[in-house]
Amino acid sequence: MTLGDFLHAIRRGTRRAASGLTLLSITVAAPAFAEGADRLAVAPGGYTPMKPTPGKGMPVDGGITFQQQYSPNGDYALWMHDMFLLPIIIAVSLFVLGLLAWVVIRYNRRANPVPSKTSHNTMLEVVWTGLPILILLVVFVPSMKLLARQYKAPPANALTIKATGNQWYWSYSYPDNGGFEVISNMLPDEEAKKRGEPPQLAADNRMVVPAGEPIHLQTTGADVIHSFAVPSLWFKLDAVPGRINEKVLFVKEPGVYYGQCSELCGARHGYMPIVVEALDRPHYNAWVMTHAGAKVDGAPEAAPAADATPAAAAAPAAADSAADAASSSGSAA
Amino acid sequence: MATIPHDDFLAHEHEDHAHHDHKPGFFARWFMSTNHKDIGTLYLIFAVCAGIIGGAISGMMRAELAHPGIQYLGWFATHIFGESNPSFDQTLHLWNVLITAHGLIMVFFMVMPAMIGGFGNWFVPLMIGAPDMAFPRMNNISFWLTVAGFCSLMISPFVPGGTGNGAGIGWTAYAPLSTTGSQGPAVDFAIFSLHLAGAGSIMGAINFITTIFNMRAPGMTLHKMPLFVWSVLVTAFLLLLALPVLAAAITMLITDRNFHTTFFDPAGGGDPILFQHLFWFFGHPEVYIMILPGFGMISQIISTFSKKPVFGYLGMAYAMVAIGVVGFVVWAHHMYTTGLSEDVKMYFTTATMVIAVPTGIKIFSWIATMWGGSISFKSPMVWAMGFIFLFTVGGVTGVVLANGGIDDNLQDTYYVVGHFHYVLSLGAVTSLFAGFYYWFPKMSGRWHSELLAHLHFWVFFAGVNMVFFPMHFLGMQGMPRRYPDYAPAFEKWNHLSTVGYMVMSVSIVIFLINIAYALVAGKKAAGNYWGEGATTLEWTLSSPPPFHQFETLPKIEDDHHH
Amino acid sequence: MASGKTHDYHILPPDIVPLATTIGAFTFTSGMVLFMHEMPGGKFVPWAGLAILLAAMFAWFSKIVNEAKAGDHTPVVQLHQRYGMILFIASEVMFFVGWFWAFFDFSLFPSEISKVVGGHWPLKTMEAVMDPFDLPLLNTLILLCSGTTVTWAHHCLIHGDRDGLKKGLWITIALGLLFSSLQGYEYLHAPFAFGKNTYGSAFYMATGFHGFHVIVGTIFLAVCLKRAYNGDFTPRQHFGFEAAAWYWHFVDVVWLFLFVCIYVWGNWGFPVD
Ligand code: HEA
Ligand code: HEA
Ligand code: CUA
Ligand SMILES: [Cu+2]
Repeated sequence: MTLGDFLHAIRRGTRRAASGLTLLSITVAAPAFAEGADRLAVAPGGYTPMKPTPGKGMPVDGGITFQQQYSPNGDYALWMHDMFLLPIIIAVSLFVLGLLAWVVIRYNRRANPVPSKTSHNTMLEVVWTGLPILILLVVFVPSMKLLARQYKAPPANALTIKATGNQWYWSYSYPDNGGFEVISNMLPDEEAKKRGEPPQLAADNRMVVPAGEPIHLQTTGADVIHSFAVPSLWFKLDAVPGRINEKVLFVKEPGVYYGQCSELCGARHGYMPIVVEALDRPHYNAWVMTHAGAKVDGAPEAAPAADATPAAAAAPAAADSAADAASSSGSAA
Repeated sequence: MATIPHDDFLAHEHEDHAHHDHKPGFFARWFMSTNHKDIGTLYLIFAVCAGIIGGAISGMMRAELAHPGIQYLGWFATHIFGESNPSFDQTLHLWNVLITAHGLIMVFFMVMPAMIGGFGNWFVPLMIGAPDMAFPRMNNISFWLTVAGFCSLMISPFVPGGTGNGAGIGWTAYAPLSTTGSQGPAVDFAIFSLHLAGAGSIMGAINFITTIFNMRAPGMTLHKMPLFVWSVLVTAFLLLLALPVLAAAITMLITDRNFHTTFFDPAGGGDPILFQHLFWFFGHPEVYIMILPGFGMISQIISTFSKKPVFGYLGMAYAMVAIGVVGFVVWAHHMYTTGLSEDVKMYFTTATMVIAVPTGIKIFSWIATMWGGSISFKSPMVWAMGFIFLFTVGGVTGVVLANGGIDDNLQDTYYVVGHFHYVLSLGAVTSLFAGFYYWFPKMSGRWHSELLAHLHFWVFFAGVNMVFFPMHFLGMQGMPRRYPDYAPAFEKWNHLSTVGYMVMSVSIVIFLINIAYALVAGKKAAGNYWGEGATTLEWTLSSPPPFHQFETLPKIEDDHHH
Repeated sequence: MASGKTHDYHILPPDIVPLATTIGAFTFTSGMVLFMHEMPGGKFVPWAGLAILLAAMFAWFSKIVNEAKAGDHTPVVQLHQRYGMILFIASEVMFFVGWFWAFFDFSLFPSEISKVVGGHWPLKTMEAVMDPFDLPLLNTLILLCSGTTVTWAHHCLIHGDRDGLKKGLWITIALGLLFSSLQGYEYLHAPFAFGKNTYGSAFYMATGFHGFHVIVGTIFLAVCLKRAYNGDFTPRQHFGFEAAAWYWHFVDVVWLFLFVCIYVWGNWGFPVD
């Protein structure tokens, strides 16, 4: 790579850092999401798959850093990497390299014919034990914060989606929307190109989610372990048979975000991409309604009242039982 | 450390010995050996062969990854592994077989045999002034079990293993992919390969600990022991305590596969994550097993060529002990995405970062050893300095991965592949070559070409950086590991990486030529051919040392620099 | 061998036995693969491997005994052997750590999802378990008792009482065999099957590996008994015996953990068969 690429990356890093700082304050407010009427609105005109934006939610040609992030935690993590980790590790490596270079220049046989016999210096030893400890403490703080954020419980009425890894495709079920299931297979490269999507990453049916609200994402494996991963959302969660893992997924804005199975799962491990399509609520609801037996999240059972009342919170539970019946007839493929 | 540089006296002693230094006949010497130096040689030859095989497999992998799409796997499947008309899935399965074989060969049959079996066997007894290992016969079976393990592993690609021939389970062999996910004998052969090699390593560990505790020459206290010996001591403890847990884990794989137990099978209430805990409880100490002896060798080399005693000797020794101890309580940093709870993730993040501290002590002490020295840049020294830098680069990316929240986006991507090749293929392997050039004339009695050794270094250095540095970019951009094919956006760096492989492979050819040259036409090496700076006991002996050295134990006088 | 040595270490001549042992081990593991996959040779190759392995080990240990008699086991070499044995036992402890780990994973965190387990330990679908205070308690007493008899034998040996040594060993071995038989009886009458679920897996594999160690320990002690009749061992030098005793105590301690954890704690409050 060229020096130019490097400089470019560094500049991008600083820009991100600047926005990262402001993020610290704003993201607290971000998780507030569409309530009431908006949540139930259904956009007219049904659903047409969104065209991906080049470079958004997918790797870029010859890219050398992380993908642009589209989730608040992703922003925070990226900020932490770019502001703390990356500068520190570059500094440490260059420091060691610099010392080595100095030693080569100053203490080679010709420059320094008579070796000293020093083998102790308590002060020095304390410093090079203490300094790394300090540096690590500096990393420790944002690191713990990041973990705490990632584990923040979703609101009770967050939409639940379940992703199941199968050899070798993903299936997504929507218990809160009547329990239909979507089967998602990789598109052949030719087909992907025809549709203007990146080869190896595109799928026939996407996991459609509402943007701008926390989603309660569950993962499990049907046969062996798979892993649900979307780099631009800083999200990875293993799909383990016999377990249901849960984590909050939050997509800031509508878009198509690509990911790939990230746990070795057999022959076609490299051929089970993940495509998350985030839509605003009305369009998401419109997508939901294209499935047989589907219902808008919180619609029939929930009281029309706007706030998250106990009734609304109970709705997903009620939907669950309906889900079983629906899932068999759920629209797939 | 001990100091006995009486070169001329010793050369003399050797001549005295020469006439009754009887060596057994060929078969007895190499197949029935109870001599630590011969067994060390066997291990080294074995490790070089395994390294070449493992390296060749990585060449096949790099070829396939040079461009998107599947190019060569089908050809490999038919022409090398004898599958007729492999289906697409069988072809893809071959990828998993290749990475599995590559990982296992490099870890268990190249680095470990070379470091512990090879250099450990050769130089631990010499450095502590012992005539041999404590259990010479057990030493021999340790070696042969390693060979048997390798044979078992080499059978596996040629027998059915599920989707196609061979075990396609990754070197980590996660269940249920390695149990219900892979029918056929290939996986069992691969698992038994680890049983066999593991048993050999446990016996080796017992042998080294006993030797180091009981056979130090009179006057050599633990705190006067060369750092290489310290490193092998710590490594042996890690092996002793970590390998049996792996043995239990892979025995569970065998019984789950064949005898209806359900340790990892959810159908019977089993837990696939249990395997990962057991595996990494072994696996993380294992990564230090692969680097600590390297640390030890680097310490000897730096001190020799700086003509200075090691800086902060005690700190160096106890840093290794600390790395070993902490290494046992950080294993779940390999499992951040498996659904660990918040507290657990916070604990493992913290504990993992702690390891950077003792490792930093080592790095800085090496540099301080050079500081004020009168350094001659002989080939081992150049390799050692390369090691310090490359290992640091690998180490600091480990610190990035240590952060559980950050690792969410890096786990199972090429960033991890980049990290561990920097510490292994650039760290551990570089230390191996450093040790090799340091001791080769001692072992063989003949000089390699220093010119070729330097050339080997520079070509290798350029090549491996080209192979592995871009992997960090790929990983951050999101390229998952264990993929035979990828999105076109990843092509640029993958292609560079493959080009780097070609450069690197030239260096391996130089290495082999250098060995051949030394054996055929190398000049005879003196007893202490590095001169003044080389102060440990092996330099008091002829090159090669007599078949049985130290028939009268050396005495270690109190040394001057404490 | 090269003469002129002035140290007390044991320098050995070349030996084919390690290679032979390895061939046995490799034949055994490969044979097991054939057996497990019902491939040709699966019926006899493992046995052949086992036979080679056992013969080679017999040769190996015979050599050690003969070397001891020849006086090769100087004090420092005996010290080696002590270290070796302690380290070997340490590695065995870690092996059992693996099995206990599995047990505690299953018992402390029983799967909620699995219908077989139902979030319960012992599993919801199980009718009954063994009564820990029946045969297992008896077995505990037997093993504890055998621990004392082996110490008695050791005591006699140190005080030159060869008869007491033999008696103590006979009783220890008898207790060991009794333990194994009771364990076998228990397996045959257990109210749950081998494998099939986490309970059967953890129980049988942990107690099974323990049982295997009991058998090995019994053989080890039997060899010592034979050697006692051959006139081996002196009050001052008898490491072979001590190693067997250490091993026996180790096996004993593992049993105590198995008994307390798996039989008593793990089955607490569950209907017994
Ligand atoms: C020789 C082998 C070796 C070594 C030494 C290390 C060393 C370290 N490793 Fe690495 N690691 C592997 C081999 C190794 N690793 C392998 C093989 C895998 C992948 C396995 C697989 O999945 O297949 C892996 C994976 C791996 C992961 C899991 C990644 C994932 O799968 O998501 C993590 C996460 O924490 C990690 C961390 C570390 C850390 C913190 C160190 C530390 O010990 C590094 C410490 C060193 C330094 C930090 C540099 C020197 C220090 C200084 C100059 C002081 C100042 C520095 C600072 C203040 C930062 N490693
Ligand atoms: C010590 C360990 C080691 C070493 C040296 C290497 C060396 C190399 N590895 Fe390694 N690799 C692993 C351990 C190692 N690897 C592991 C554990 C995995 C993970 C597997 C898995 O996912 O399950 C992996 C995976 C892995 C991948 C990822 C595959 C995937 O995820 O799909 C790739 C891709 O390029 C790769 C490439 C290479 C290359 C090009 C080299 C080249 O550097 C090879 C060149 C060869 C040498 C440098 C060795 C030369 C040494 C000698 C000849 C012996 C010398 C001996 C003495 C001096 C005594 N390796
Ligand atoms: Cu599914 Cu990898
Ligand atoms: Cu680790």
